[in-house]
Amino acid sequence: MERNNRITILTGHFGSGKTEVAINLALNEKKIHEKTAINDLDIINPYFRSRDVSDLFQQQNIELIAPTNRLATSDLPIVSGEIYRVLHDNRYRVIIDAGGDKDGAKALGQYYHEWKELEPELLFVLNANRPYVSTLEGARDTIEQIEKAARLKVTGIINNSNIGFETSMEDIHNGYELSSSLSDMLSIPLLYTTISVDLEKDATYFAKSHPVMFIKRFMKLPWEG
Amino acid sequence: MGKVLMKGNEVIAEAAVQAGCKYFFGYPITPQSELVAYMARRLPEVGGLFLQAESEIAAINMVYGAAGTGVRVMTSSSSPGFSLKQEGISYLVGSELPAVVVNVVRGGPGLGNIQPAQSDYFQVTKGGGHGDYNIPVLAPASLQEIVELTSEAFDIADRYRTPVILMGDGMLGQMMEPVEFGERTESELPEKNWATTGTRGDGQPKIITSLELNAEALETRNEALQNKFARIKENEVRYETYKTDDADYIMVAFGTVARLTMNAINKARQQGLKVGLIRPISLWPFPEKPFLETRDRVKGYISVEMSAGQMVEDVRLAVNGHADVDFYGRTGGVVPTQEEIYQKILTVTGGISV
Repeated sequence: MERNNRITILTGHFGSGKTEVAINLALNEKKIHEKTAINDLDIINPYFRSRDVSDLFQQQNIELIAPTNRLATSDLPIVSGEIYRVLHDNRYRVIIDAGGDKDGAKALGQYYHEWKELEPELLFVLNANRPYVSTLEGARDTIEQIEKAARLKVTGIINNSNIGFETSMEDIHNGYELSSSLSDMLSIPLLYTTISVDLEKDATYFAKSHPVMFIKRFMKLPWEG
Repeated sequence: MGKVLMKGNEVIAEAAVQAGCKYFFGYPITPQSELVAYMARRLPEVGGLFLQAESEIAAINMVYGAAGTGVRVMTSSSSPGFSLKQEGISYLVGSELPAVVVNVVRGGPGLGNIQPAQSDYFQVTKGGGHGDYNIPVLAPASLQEIVELTSEAFDIADRYRTPVILMGDGMLGQMMEPVEFGERTESELPEKNWATTGTRGDGQPKIITSLELNAEALETRNEALQNKFARIKENEVRYETYKTDDADYIMVAFGTVARLTMNAINKARQQGLKVGLIRPISLWPFPEKPFLETRDRVKGYISVEMSAGQMVEDVRLAVNGHADVDFYGRTGGVVPTQEEIYQKILTVTGGISV
C-alpha cells in the first residue's frame, strides 16, 4: 500500500465510492505529511461531494480546494484554479477527487501538461455491486473511457465493493475476485481493498492475506447517526 | 440478481424498464439528470427508445404521442422543468392517456436551487395544470420502495387510463442504498382497445383528444372523469402507520422526511412520550382513514415537511377540527434535522410530564 507519488487521483465509475476513499486517503496522508490538500474536481454530482465535509477538513487542517460559497452549490461544471498552487508545490501531498465515469474524468484532461511533468497516480475505484461495472467487460470499458477522457493511464485499482449499510464479507470477496481478474486482464496492479471500519472484525481473516485499508464513511444521510 | 447499490434516480429508471417502460422522453435537470442518463444507456439494451427532447414541453408532448399508441412511457424532471410540463399533463388527463411522470423536487419557487424540497406538494396534488382534475401521486421513502411504487405507478396508469406522478425530493434521487429487483407480479389490466394503432378496417376510427366544443358533451365527459377519480380515491389509497395505536400525538410526514421523523419519534418514545407517525404513500388520494380512526382520541397532529406548510392543509381537512394540527417545516432546500423535529415534539406536547 506504499505509494510514492505525491499526487493521487481518484477516478472510477459513477457512484463507485471515490469520494469516501478520497476523504479517507486525505486523512491518512495528513497523519504522515504536514501539508495535505484534497481537490474536489467533481463536476457530476450535485450532492454528496468532498466539499460537503469541509468542516472535517478544516478541523484536520487539510486544505480543501473546491468551488466555494455560492459556487459550491451552483450546479455549474466548475473547478477551482487553485489546484495549480498545490500541484506545483512539492511540499504538498495532493488527493484529487474526480467525478465519475468518462464525463467526470473529462475535468482531468485539461491538466495534460501537468500530468506529463508530475506523473501522478491514477487510481480506479471499483464497486462491483454497481450497474455496468459488475462484469469484467463493463469494468474494462469504463477504465478505457476514463483513460481517454483523463488523458492518463490508470496505475492502480482499488476494490471498494460494497452495498452500503448491508455490506457483508461476501460482497467484498466477490468484488475482490472481479478486481483481481480486471487487474490480470489489464496488467494494472490491484493495490488494496477498502472495508468499512464497521466490518473490521469480520474482515480479520481477509485482512491477513490481502492488503486492506479500513475506511470510515463520511457521506451520511441526515437520519444516520 | 442479488442486491445492488444504486442511486435513487437510477432505481426509478431501472424499475420503470422492468415494469415494461420502453419509451422515455426527457430533458436533463439537476437533481434528476442521472435518471435521464441511465435511460439513455439502458433503453437501447431492451429494444426501447430514449429521446432527449429540446425542452420539457416537447418531452411531455412526445409522451402524449407515445401513450396514444398504448405503450408504457415515462418522462421525468425536477421542479422548474416539471412546471413546464403542466399543460401537457392536463392534456394527458383530458385525453385519458396513461403515462408516468417523475418529479424529483428541488428548492423553489422559480429557479430556486438544486437542494432537496417537497414544496411541489400543492402542484402535484391539487391539479397543477388547468381544468378539473387530480392525478394519483406516489411518494416513496426508500430506494427499495421506489422499485415497488414505480411498478405500481405504471399499473395504476393503465388501470385508470390516467397519468400518474412519482414524487421524491432531491435527496431521494441522489442518495445510494442497496436495492433488489425481484420478480414483478403482473397485474390484470384492461386491454388497450382505445390505442391508435390503425383500425385495419375493423371498426370505427379511434380518436384521442381532449377537445370537446359542445358544453354539455364536455360536462358529461368531465363527470365521467370525476367518477374515475372517485374510483381511484376508493381503491388507490396507500399509507403506513408507526406506533399510532397508543399515541397521544401523531406526526405526519412523507418521503425522506418520514425517515427523519421516525427517528425523532423513537427518541421521544425513549423519553416516555407517546408519539406515532402516519406516512402518506399516496399523496393523492390523501389517506383520510388513519385520521378518521385516530382524530377523536389523540391530542394533536404535527405535519413535518420540506415546505412552508402544504400537506398540513390536507391534514386539517382530514382531522376536520377534531384535534389540534401543528406544523414544522424547512424550505429552500434545507433539510430539517432530527433534533429540530424532536424539539418540535417537545414544544407541542409540552415535553416530558410526570
